[in-house]
Amino acid sequence: MIQIPPGAFARPGTSLEFKTGTWRVERPVHQRRAAPCHSACPAGEDAQAYLAKVELGDMRGAWETVVAANPLPAITGRVCHHPCESACNRAQYDESITIHGVERFLGDEALRQGWSYPVPIPGAEAPRMAVVGSGPAGLAAAYHLLRGGCQVTLIEAMPAAGGTVRTAIPHYRLPPDVLEQELDHMLALPGLDFRLRTQLGRDVSLEELRADHEAVFLGPGRRKGREWSADFAVPGNLRTGLQLLEAWVAGGTLPEQPRSVAIVGGGNTAVDLARVLRREGVEQVHLISHQRIPAPGVPDDDAMRATYREVSQALEEGVTIHEHRGVRRLILRGERVVGMELVHMKKLEDAGGRLRRVAFEGTETVLHVDQVIPAIGQDVDGTGFESLVRRGYMEVEPWWGTVNGQSGIFSGGDARSDHGTVSEAVGDGRRAAAAMLRYRAGRQLEPGVPPEPIPYSDLNLSYFETAPASKEPVLPPEQRLGLEEIEGGLQANAVRHEAHRCLSCGDCLACDNCWTLCPDQSVLKTREVAADGSHYVFDYDYCKGCGICAHECPTGYIHMIPE
Amino acid sequence: MNEQPLHHLDTLRARQPRFRGLESGHRACQGCGEALAARLTTEAAGPDVVVANATGCLEVFTTPWPQSAWRLPWIHSVFGNTAAVAAGMEAALKQQGRATQVLAFAGDGGTFDIGFQALSGMMERGHDVLFVCFDNEAYMNTGVQRSGSTPHAAMTTTSPPGELRMGKRHMKKDILSIIAAHHIPYAATASVAYPSDLRKKVRRAMDTEGASFLQIHSPCPLGWGHEGAKTIEVARLAVQTGLFPVIEMERGELIGTLPIREPRPVSDYLKLQNRFRHLFASEYRARKELEHLQAIANRNIERFELRGIGSEAYDTEGADTVHRGGDRWA
Repeated sequence: MIQIPPGAFARPGTSLEFKTGTWRVERPVHQRRAAPCHSACPAGEDAQAYLAKVELGDMRGAWETVVAANPLPAITGRVCHHPCESACNRAQYDESITIHGVERFLGDEALRQGWSYPVPIPGAEAPRMAVVGSGPAGLAAAYHLLRGGCQVTLIEAMPAAGGTVRTAIPHYRLPPDVLEQELDHMLALPGLDFRLRTQLGRDVSLEELRADHEAVFLGPGRRKGREWSADFAVPGNLRTGLQLLEAWVAGGTLPEQPRSVAIVGGGNTAVDLARVLRREGVEQVHLISHQRIPAPGVPDDDAMRATYREVSQALEEGVTIHEHRGVRRLILRGERVVGMELVHMKKLEDAGGRLRRVAFEGTETVLHVDQVIPAIGQDVDGTGFESLVRRGYMEVEPWWGTVNGQSGIFSGGDARSDHGTVSEAVGDGRRAAAAMLRYRAGRQLEPGVPPEPIPYSDLNLSYFETAPASKEPVLPPEQRLGLEEIEGGLQANAVRHEAHRCLSCGDCLACDNCWTLCPDQSVLKTREVAADGSHYVFDYDYCKGCGICAHECPTGYIHMIPE
Repeated sequence: MNEQPLHHLDTLRARQPRFRGLESGHRACQGCGEALAARLTTEAAGPDVVVANATGCLEVFTTPWPQSAWRLPWIHSVFGNTAAVAAGMEAALKQQGRATQVLAFAGDGGTFDIGFQALSGMMERGHDVLFVCFDNEAYMNTGVQRSGSTPHAAMTTTSPPGELRMGKRHMKKDILSIIAAHHIPYAATASVAYPSDLRKKVRRAMDTEGASFLQIHSPCPLGWGHEGAKTIEVARLAVQTGLFPVIEMERGELIGTLPIREPRPVSDYLKLQNRFRHLFASEYRARKELEHLQAIANRNIERFELRGIGSEAYDTEGADTVHRGGDRWA
């Protein structure tokens, strides 16, 4: 037998006795960062998180992730203007993820399969909270209070729930059966005492609500038409845009059949009404806005408040939009409108730096129309809480929705001067519910901000391949005559495709890059999810801090921090 | 940092779902491309192997006596005779009727220059050995001297840029063509930037009867003058510029390439490395050598048809695509 002298061999793996971690000056750490879709979502949905679950085939888990922020995904998946997609990092790579299509699919799937909301049943001793108004803001507030273990009294003045979502969104954007199903689904939650036809100030007073509940959320929306006149002339048959739109959504008809109409205003009500009028056979529908058609590159303060998608579909359907135009005077024959004088206008900064509308002399034109409809916005109808309304709006702390100068009263949604979409209302309701729970617990409300999103430059794009986005089928303009929904949904395979395209910004993809590329065998893979939510653990005994894992992490989830 | 040790690291290490041929605690520099290449190679080769390792960085940093970072039978040969040692081991194992595979590890010095005649002989005799060349393009262990593998115009301590020369005057030796001339069953190049491709090639070579050869492009942060964190990026750019073609040969015939979707300009690769810094001076010679290297890359792309012809969009065929759950590396 040959004897090998000790100096000639070493035992396998004995280098583990030598801790190369002492060489390190920087250490890698896992740090989840907010994806841009998450930061941009007014409702607070974390699209990256639910896309990850969709990719794994866990549709129900994905839906539960959605409804952790927003109880109404079948509705918002249809009507939201999806700022998540504008913010999506993938837009800089090829095309953004069709997030709203995934959201809509999950919402529909939950209704189809009857998935129940992950909400506890409140005990008899659970705190009682009050919510006024069952529009998106009120519904979201009620839902999140229920999630927080409260009993909720929800009052609604109208004979049905939904607020603006029910009364003012045309069926071609939101089919009524989807609306009914999702509202019924949510309103069936245990612990919710829902009272229809109950108006604040008539059936119950704010003081009574306040006395019987720990805190109150006011989601009155904006329903009172603003006074409108051009040069003090008011046509006899004046109706506001919202009145007409509500009449049409409720009954499917309009009181008059003019040949040509001018709608004054650039918000969603104006645009929706313009499209409704086209469907009702009005030949010429003019939209007069002192702002511009919203499009990429148009600054927010110069863009119409209506969303880009709605405006572009309106243009496809033959609506004429007069940008940067104002109404100088109405041309009346008796009390009847026969036309109007328009003038070019623009918002300019005055000497004090404030934006002011300026009309340019010598640019007047005459537009002959049979009817003028102002859709210049609405104010809060403050019946029952008159003292809380200022200049037509609720003045609130922007993050938590605390009504200025009030204790235990919160508000949000359209009632705020700065919010006007369903998803903003849902976000307001969600944050206000959190504020109400904190208020009850006597906790301070620190000012909140949306999470800082991870920029495109922090991703490593070498590890992805280009792939076209799945697009929803859209009804061609010539077929958009009735109430049929214009945008179809994504099929399940397209939804999976979109989830697969997600870059997983700022979150662990469990792709094994760090584990595979560490020259020092210092990234260890775990069987289960590790304590920090990843699937890997750094062995700092041996990690030399070279930074390969951080540099090659496709999603920007690993950071180097100084020792 | 308050670490909650959900996992006991020793247990976790022992349970890693891959063979750890090269263990932690080795003394390679931060971001060492060669350590990664050796780790990936042994991972794919599996435990039933013996390794002959030429003198060089890999030998030095893995075996500071009395410790060893290897978890497989491993023998240190002198600089020039690795292939001969491996050939001897192969013959002995064959004589004993054992199926253990023999690997030979050497750097580019131990392959292109000093070890070449032993390698040529081993291949010519057809020993069933996989010879792996960890190509970091200079004699790094002794202090960055130029080798037959050092690319044209690169700065080393023995090819400094100055009044007479812009770095190395000669070309990088086309070792794969020389290997191909031996008519061996399998020869390939690989890069640490494409680990799944690398491991696939190791397995393929192991399955091949007879001599096989694998050249792995392994950046050296110290010798090339780039940040340790950029090792993979540098390696990836070498491939994406066409300066390091990733190809496969059987019996001397080209059978496969890792295609390039959009070739990157060579300057993207060169500017990350100090050894090419002089090429970015504002003088004629610098501009000329930069164009020279671009021309070399262009010729590689042309010669191996790294870009498809016509409108067909070639890409890396998923060799670098990640998927949730890591199935890329399976």
